[in-house]
Amino acid sequence: MATLVMIKAMFKRYAIELRRYYFNTLSMLVSFYLIFILLFYGVQSLANGGQQFGDALNGMVVGFMVFYLTVYSYAELSWVLVGEASQGTLEQLSMSPLGFGRVLLARIFAALVYRIVIMFLLLLLMMWTTGRWMAFDLWTLIPLLLFTMASVQGVGFVMGGLALVFKQIQASLGILQFVFVALIAAPIERFPALKFLPLSWGTRLIGDSMINGTHIWQVAPADLAVVGVTGVGYFAAGFFVFKYFEVVARDRGLLGHY
Amino acid sequence: MPAPVVRVDQLTKVYRTRRERVTAVDRVSFEVQPGEVLGLLGPNGAGKTTTIKSLCTLVRPTSGEIEIGGVNVRAHPYRALKRIAAVLEGNRNIYWRLSPRENMEFFSGLQGIPTRTVRPRIDQLLERFRLVDKANVSARKLSRGMQQKLAVACALIKGTEILLLDEPTLGLDVETSYELRGALKAMARDHQRTILLSTHDMNVVQDVCDRVIVIHEGRVVTDDRVTNLLHMFRARAYRFILEGRLEDRACHRLERSFEMLELHHTDHRTEIEVELLDSAALYKMMDVLRESGAIIESIDRQDPNLEEIFLAIVRGNN
Ligand SMILES: Nc1ncnc2c1ncn2[C@@H]1O[C@H](COP(=O)(O)OP(=O)(O)OP(=O)(O)O)[C@@H](O)[C@H]1O
Ligand SMILES: [Mg+2]
Repeated sequence: MATLVMIKAMFKRYAIELRRYYFNTLSMLVSFYLIFILLFYGVQSLANGGQQFGDALNGMVVGFMVFYLTVYSYAELSWVLVGEASQGTLEQLSMSPLGFGRVLLARIFAALVYRIVIMFLLLLLMMWTTGRWMAFDLWTLIPLLLFTMASVQGVGFVMGGLALVFKQIQASLGILQFVFVALIAAPIERFPALKFLPLSWGTRLIGDSMINGTHIWQVAPADLAVVGVTGVGYFAAGFFVFKYFEVVARDRGLLGHY
Repeated sequence: MPAPVVRVDQLTKVYRTRRERVTAVDRVSFEVQPGEVLGLLGPNGAGKTTTIKSLCTLVRPTSGEIEIGGVNVRAHPYRALKRIAAVLEGNRNIYWRLSPRENMEFFSGLQGIPTRTVRPRIDQLLERFRLVDKANVSARKLSRGMQQKLAVACALIKGTEILLLDEPTLGLDVETSYELRGALKAMARDHQRTILLSTHDMNVVQDVCDRVIVIHEGRVVTDDRVTNLLHMFRARAYRFILEGRLEDRACHRLERSFEMLELHHTDHRTEIEVELLDSAALYKMMDVLRESGAIIESIDRQDPNLEEIFLAIVRGNN
């Protein structure tokens, strides 16, 4: 019950901050929309239409969408920690009797929900302006996105833990972006073992759903299980590492310093 | 005596960095009674912040135990945190993008308390800290003093029995400092809140604290009631400068009436240093001077100098 109250407070604060900074939010939306449109016409002029063009474009849209969610999912926690520390509110968060971990989870969850909603709205807008409709089955997409992003969040926890202790991690966050591009494009067909990396297999299933209209009940249970297990596994392992860094930060008196 | 709400036993914190080991807090022990206002007084680097952060779990002690309301902080941090609210150094601890009202709502939520149950208390606190006009303005636009008051209000909204304040009056002007102190005193008196605050301002200690712990280089050097400490350090020392030489009869009278008195005179002037513990003593002093027809050139109240106190205490300890 108290936890629900805390989660609600977190969502509310996040919403207020977004509203106060609506210009930021708006310019982000516009720039993403523009990127989508550029992608669309860029690929169109390269491919000169046809079936191949359609698949390439759809694949790219899915890749871009997953990439966008990924970048935010893995960096969000570090940004939150660095931002709160420089504002001088991180100590307050870490003194919640509901637990620092739970408080941060609530904050990250608020951001993820917001980003998924924004993403879907953008996609709809894009499909509407270009007149190309992709399959859009929320019952399939939402669980796949949540589990896929959970595996990314595992990496996010590790980065957050490093941010808590070492503070200056912007550079490594930037480099990681490329690692994620590689994970999204991992050649799973040739090396099936790569399925067990974070992100890769989930992205493939999401693409399948959007491009070929595959529904979640049509996916082989073993394939779904891989998404579920990697999602939960990486998430839990990352959280564990974060807890370790939290202890280090409390030990060195670094909580709140920036 | 009731059970203490805070019990610190042999608290030690050693910070290890690559180059050195700093013993910030060294076997500190003390207890705080319910409703008591305890001051932690000490120069820069004494270990005040480290002690406070250890109490609220932000720093993990190297050794020693801390109990909050009978709950061991190391074993049950979340249960202990239910009873604590803390305001840490600086004019921060609040969200600059949120208004005072939104800040208080958020912090009660963070404690697990629904907004609806704290609304009346939010209004009371806004009133008490004279922030009603600013209730819906971004905290970024408040003055530094208002931000600090808001930070304290955000701690109070949690309704915990214990309040930890690290340098709550640092950087505030005299008026704001008084206002804040008044609110703290009222909280302790009327709501039985236990307050532990750190400061290097002797005036704050005199004004709000019942008891004071002086720490120096991580160690407790004194733990005493404030009244005792002030007495010990000639806290109410006055210096009178009179024109001309004070007549002998008056000198004798003064020497008989006041224990702690020093008289120096030249032909042109008389200097009296005396400790007057209450206003009755001050009036008596004035009566003697008036009867002798002395002309007062100046009266100085000699505030105790923290540096001197430390030197004296530290010397006394060796
Ligand atoms: N995170 C840290 N890492 C290493 N050393 C630290 C850390 N925090 C404090 N110290 C050291 O511990 C000692 C005590 O510091 P602390 O901040 O507790 O003192 P303080 O009494 O609050 O001082 P001030 O009046 O300046 O706020 C100092 O020598 C300080 O340099
Ligand atoms: Mg300090």
